[in-house]
Amino acid sequence: MIQAEQQLGARAGATPASDEAGREQLDRFAAMDPHKMGMVLFILSESVFFTLLILAYLLYRAAPAVANGPNAKTVLDIGLTAIFSACLFASSGTIWLADRSLARGRDGLFRFWLAATIGLGGIFIFGQGQEYYRLLTHNVTVSQNVFGTTFFTLTGFHGLHVIVGLIALLILLGLALAGQFKGGQHRAAVETIALYWHFVDAVWVVVFSVIYIGAWLS
Amino acid sequence: MSAIPLVPEPTAALPRLRSNEGLLSWVATVDHKQIGILYLITTIFFLLVGGLEAELMRIQLAQPRNTFLSPEAYNQLFTMHGTTMIFLVVMPILIGFGNYLVPLMIGARDVAFPRLNALSYWLLLFSGLLLYYSFIAGGAPDAGWFAYTPLSEKPYSTTPGLDYYAVGLLASGIGSVAAAINLIVTILTLRAPGMSLRRVPLFVWMVLFNSLLIVLALPSLNASLVMLLIDRQLNAHFFDALHGGQPLLWQHFFWSFGHPEVYIMVLPAFGMISEILPVFSRKPIYGYGFVAGSTIGIVVLSLLVYGHHMFASGLGFTLDLAFGLASMLIAVPTGVKIFNWLATVWGGAIRFTTAMCFALSFLFLFTMGGVTGVMFAIVPIDKELEDSYFVVAHMHYVLFGGTFFAVIAAFYYWFPKMSGRMLSERIGKINFWLMFIGFNLTFFIQHFLGWAGMPRRIYTYDNNPGWDWMNLVSTIGAVILAVGVLVFIVNVFVSLRRGAPAGDNPWNAWTLEWATTSPPPLYNFDQVPPVRSRRPLWDLAHPEQPDYQPPAGQGGHNQ
Amino acid sequence: MPDPQSPLAQASIDLFNGALLISTLIVLGVGGLLAYMMVRYRARSGAGEPTPDFGNHKLEIAWTIAPAILLTVIAVFTFPALRAQEVDTSKAAGGGTPDLIVIGHQWWWEIRYPQANVVTANELHLPTGRQLLVQLEGADVIHSLWIPQLAPKLDNVPGHTNWMWLRADRAGTYQGACAEYCGTQHAWMLIRAVAQAPADFDAWLRQQGAPAAAVPAGAAAQHGAQIFAQRTCISCHAIAGTAARAVVGPNLTHFASRQILAAGVLENNAANVTRWLRNPQSVKPGNLMPNVRLSDDELRDLTAYMESLR
Ligand code: HEA
Ligand code: HEA
Ligand code: HEC
Ligand code: CUA
Ligand SMILES: [Cu+2]
Repeated sequence: MIQAEQQLGARAGATPASDEAGREQLDRFAAMDPHKMGMVLFILSESVFFTLLILAYLLYRAAPAVANGPNAKTVLDIGLTAIFSACLFASSGTIWLADRSLARGRDGLFRFWLAATIGLGGIFIFGQGQEYYRLLTHNVTVSQNVFGTTFFTLTGFHGLHVIVGLIALLILLGLALAGQFKGGQHRAAVETIALYWHFVDAVWVVVFSVIYIGAWLS
Repeated sequence: MSAIPLVPEPTAALPRLRSNEGLLSWVATVDHKQIGILYLITTIFFLLVGGLEAELMRIQLAQPRNTFLSPEAYNQLFTMHGTTMIFLVVMPILIGFGNYLVPLMIGARDVAFPRLNALSYWLLLFSGLLLYYSFIAGGAPDAGWFAYTPLSEKPYSTTPGLDYYAVGLLASGIGSVAAAINLIVTILTLRAPGMSLRRVPLFVWMVLFNSLLIVLALPSLNASLVMLLIDRQLNAHFFDALHGGQPLLWQHFFWSFGHPEVYIMVLPAFGMISEILPVFSRKPIYGYGFVAGSTIGIVVLSLLVYGHHMFASGLGFTLDLAFGLASMLIAVPTGVKIFNWLATVWGGAIRFTTAMCFALSFLFLFTMGGVTGVMFAIVPIDKELEDSYFVVAHMHYVLFGGTFFAVIAAFYYWFPKMSGRMLSERIGKINFWLMFIGFNLTFFIQHFLGWAGMPRRIYTYDNNPGWDWMNLVSTIGAVILAVGVLVFIVNVFVSLRRGAPAGDNPWNAWTLEWATTSPPPLYNFDQVPPVRSRRPLWDLAHPEQPDYQPPAGQGGHNQ
Repeated sequence: MPDPQSPLAQASIDLFNGALLISTLIVLGVGGLLAYMMVRYRARSGAGEPTPDFGNHKLEIAWTIAPAILLTVIAVFTFPALRAQEVDTSKAAGGGTPDLIVIGHQWWWEIRYPQANVVTANELHLPTGRQLLVQLEGADVIHSLWIPQLAPKLDNVPGHTNWMWLRADRAGTYQGACAEYCGTQHAWMLIRAVAQAPADFDAWLRQQGAPAAAVPAGAAAQHGAQIFAQRTCISCHAIAGTAARAVVGPNLTHFASRQILAAGVLENNAANVTRWLRNPQSVKPGNLMPNVRLSDDELRDLTAYMESLR
């Protein structure tokens, strides 16, 4: 789809070839890749979205209703989640390696690191899944108290973003196996998705600190 | 990739509905001009719906203790009126104009992501349909356009109306963010050679910053709506005081979107005015750099003032003061704009086209609305007048007298480019006077109603001294205003059939969109003229005195 | 609100008048300039294009600074008025014990005088010349107490206590309303403030503190009291001195002493009480008191009972 979008953009957006050079010389912005720029803007807007969810969590962290009911300190398994989190953090490195391999034309390595990223992201989602399962079966739910409300909303939306990222990565992998990225072609698509993946990771750095490390310290 | 064209390649700029594949080509289009026009048609339709709701409200309010509408009906109507006007009319109509004009103005062939563009439009339509489907599904939303919790929570709002509100606005919110990203990337990466950011038409500049504001502000709405929806559907407690939630959190979250939103609804209008006034004064915009730069000030400030909608909620002295001062400060960059526009007209040769009449009255009406805004920023005044009809007067002066007059001006100005035909000036003048008189009759008197203590959002009122005749005057004004709007619609239909052919550049204007045919061909330009200043077409027409070679003593300002 | 009756309201009005003057001058200035230009610079046929003028830095600076100075002046005047509104509960008279608690309900006002143990509804009495500390609460959704002539408005927020000053310098009756939209009958959530000389106020408070007679005078009223206890009334309303203690609806102990009925829909008199009891939903559609379906006889006697609650 990205590719189709690109073709369409190329057809529709471009002035005749001779102008292309003049356009890119205009300024820094004009020389940028549109997809990456779009992704950066999207990330900007998503950051605001997560900021609000995090603020809500922080606001209710010390609420009386939370102190008496289930809360981060009493119900979360910080150590286990730290392990799963490490996988997610590592996947930021693997996708970086994937992109670098692509840039150097090492297609096989590129596919390997891409698959590794998907694997690590998958482990994280599995970890979150089992944590949810444990909480829900112990009657910690969104409607239990404001801790449940804010915890599930924040981590749930993050998890959703990881899943979307995994789907995008799987598509990339599929395309790569079909031979799409030979010789560093369409690298912008990979870089765009990588940007997103780093963002999802960065959000988890904050969320993990706020919820888990925050609970551990308190 | 398969070679079977699922979407017919459009063959004409504006395919007729009845032509071969005409309808399909509109439904499946990814062309920014067609999508722009779809936006405009859709929003005008919703304007009529939202206006009809307003007229019904005004009839109910025409006399004290009127029983024309039940309280339930009235409350749904004003909620849907506000929600419709803001989310289905003003915001998307500005995005629609941006869609149509931005690529033309910067000499591009389309937006950066044409399919995403189509998706944004369809999300808007979907959102409108969802919101209105609620009427059939058991009751429209009835908690006001800002849906304060806990009134909007399940225990106090048992109809599904607010679920439709949340889901509908989420759809439009996502669509708006997508459209905004699209416009930013378009403006930043697809400008024609020579079109540096300091040379883009001011409309493009305003759309750029407006889109940035959308990207920063809309997610707050989306997050708030998600939380509301989770509260309502999953019995969560974000805003539920009984279980430790805080109702006021909603206000903070909503207004951190809601205030930027009001500037989102006016910045592109500032851009329109900045295009129209110069052309009909026959002078370049005065102080381009200041009009452009003050926009950045407005964007930054607008993110810092949202608390002025919450003075009565008990923020405390410090926050009251901080939000009040920041709000007052916005008058400065806005004033800079007003003064530069006045200076643009000063010494010009004014052509009183309908577009110009609307643009000039914009200056007056927006200033009226602006100064009452500053009054609210003075916190003790706000605590007297908040939630009274004074607020209703303020917001219609800035939104209708401001934005909407600019939008009508924009219609008269760019309709020839879009359709190839001129809107009738004769009907236009009737349109203008009806709307100008009707508007002021409706809303000026509401300042006094607010002053006399009439709260907003009441379906009826007691026969207090003066309230009856003042409300009646307002209702009469609203009827005149509605006729004015209908005259506009008539003008569009009549002129589409019988309007004078427009030619490429009927107004003798200077920006790139006028360098191509009316309506523009599919790929917009055969050849983009060289861009060496802010007024490329002036440079072409006046080689003896082009903008890029300023006469002595005027160095620097004009490039 | 043209006639403020307290220093706080007066301060707001003074600010308003000042701001109104400045605003009018700005609007007239912009409008006048426009009018002048529309006449003076009308395009004349035959004349060429006017000379381009791209701007002037000095002017720009001037019209940036001038409004800024004006606003600074306004801000300076705002400061003391805002300060005066602020309630610092730790320092407030009585260390934060309110003189008055006003609770917003859908769609009526509960008014408590905690020090005198008085509970009433929709009609607020206050002694002239004294600054009262008012505690604001919301019982269900957000409401907002707005008595324009006496004080700036402030919201009644569930789960969040607000404090405000209330004062009236002249005896009289002042209209107020719920200013925050609170649902179906937001329109009829009026409040009436009655300012009395301190002696009158004390008398009123004493009278309101007394319980109602366990057995009212007159056969009709006595029958009415029985109906009140037998029909569902008692499950929602309180009448001090009787078995009725529910707090769902307004306290009716001294109901007949109030001027307005059901938060302002009607004046409070016998005929209107009958109308209300016959079917509250036709008088104030959507309000939370159900139609109890009383017979005409029951209505007559219940009204008599209500009227006996002076
Ligand atoms: C297009 C939309 C728009 C715009 C541009 C504005 C502009 C402004 N608004 Fe308004 N506002 C609304 C739409 C808008 N507003 C809406 C919809 C609401 C109601 C929401 C609701 O409750 O439903 C609202 C409500 C609202 C409130 C809350 C009222 C209440 O509920 O209590 C406040 C409070 O401060 C406020 C302030 C301002 C200010 C200071 C400006 C300033 O930006 C105005 C600046 C402009 C000028 C001042 C004029 C030009 C300047 C000069 C000529 C220079 C000289 C002037 C001076 C020195 C004063 N607005
Ligand atoms: C740009 C935005 C915008 C616009 C254009 C308008 C336009 C109008 N508004 Fe609106 N208004 C708002 C934004 C807007 N409003 C908002 C945000 C609120 C707050 C809502 C809230 O409190 O939650 C509000 C609230 C509001 C109130 C206060 C309600 C209350 O608090 O109880 C009133 C009352 O007079 C009012 C009146 C009008 C009128 C008479 C018009 C007129 O200009 C309308 C003119 C008429 C037309 C445009 C239609 C003409 C056509 C027909 C009548 C025929 C229809 C035919 C077909 C459908 C085929 N509006
Ligand atoms: C389900 C609860 C409920 C029941 C039962 C009920 N009421 Fe009410 N009543 C209310 C509420 C709530 C109000 C406030 C209505 C409003 O103003 O919106 C009210 C208002 C009133 C008022 C007006 C009070 C005022 O200060 O203006 C009177 C009088 C009254 N009720 C009498 C009665 C009588 C007599 C009965 C029995 C026949 C009765 N009520 C049964 C809930 C109830
Ligand atoms: Cu209570 Cu409005
Ligand atoms: Cu605002």
